[in-house]
Amino acid sequence: MPIDLDAFKPAYEKWVEESLPEFRAGNMKEIVKKYPLIAPDDIPWTVYNGQPSNQTFALVTSGGLYLKDSQPPFDTESIHGDTSFREIPKTVRQQDIGIAHAHYDHSLAEQDINVVFPIQRFIELENEGIIGKLTDTHYSFSYVNDVVSFVTETVPEFISRIKAAGADVLFLVPV
Amino acid sequence: MGLIQRLVEEAGIPTISMGNAPDRMAHIKPPRAMLVKFARGSMFGEPGNVKRQRRIILDALEALQTMSEPGTIQELPYKWKQPDPE
Repeated sequence: MPIDLDAFKPAYEKWVEESLPEFRAGNMKEIVKKYPLIAPDDIPWTVYNGQPSNQTFALVTSGGLYLKDSQPPFDTESIHGDTSFREIPKTVRQQDIGIAHAHYDHSLAEQDINVVFPIQRFIELENEGIIGKLTDTHYSFSYVNDVVSFVTETVPEFISRIKAAGADVLFLVPV
Repeated sequence: MGLIQRLVEEAGIPTISMGNAPDRMAHIKPPRAMLVKFARGSMFGEPGNVKRQRRIILDALEALQTMSEPGTIQELPYKWKQPDPE
């Protein structure tokens, strides 16, 4: 476990209590600085072997993307954020995508979704053989503060899905 | 995202991420990352710059093959609405 959840939990509860007024007022800058998540010094590492041209890539963004016609938007009201993720098919079109994330300016991604989720570029690289394959499904998360169930439930489920999809490499684009 | 990246890397899948905030990256310590000079919500620069988007991904594919130290961050030279270096 890379994050000490036993230490995080009480610190997080205190942070929520102290930050709620600022959060409701939209003063994110100060409360972000006080957010208690600390990553340990040891950094996980899986050696990269082989060539992109014979490997399968999956994409994940934290841009709050969802399919307008078939998926619920993320919760953008709660200070805890939303720990869920959405599956975005490789065949998605710009007009299919909604954005539910209260803490960045969506206007650039609304013009060109590739600035937060470069799916079209990856499809081109797959067609040219520069990467071996792109998985059929990709993923979006949104804004998350409560990382307890996120670390113990959501991310393990996410990992089992990308493994089942045969992903050799994960490319991450935060916002 | 840094947390997801760390857990995926720990689960045996190599990862590479984009980033734009050295202070946040120092805090979350991603295994491999590309650092850009663009604002939140647009890690690949101005919308519609297909050539640059492609170039940044190719930079990342190269970095995947060359980075050998956990926590390596490579800074990219691209600037908002300015031509890319040759």
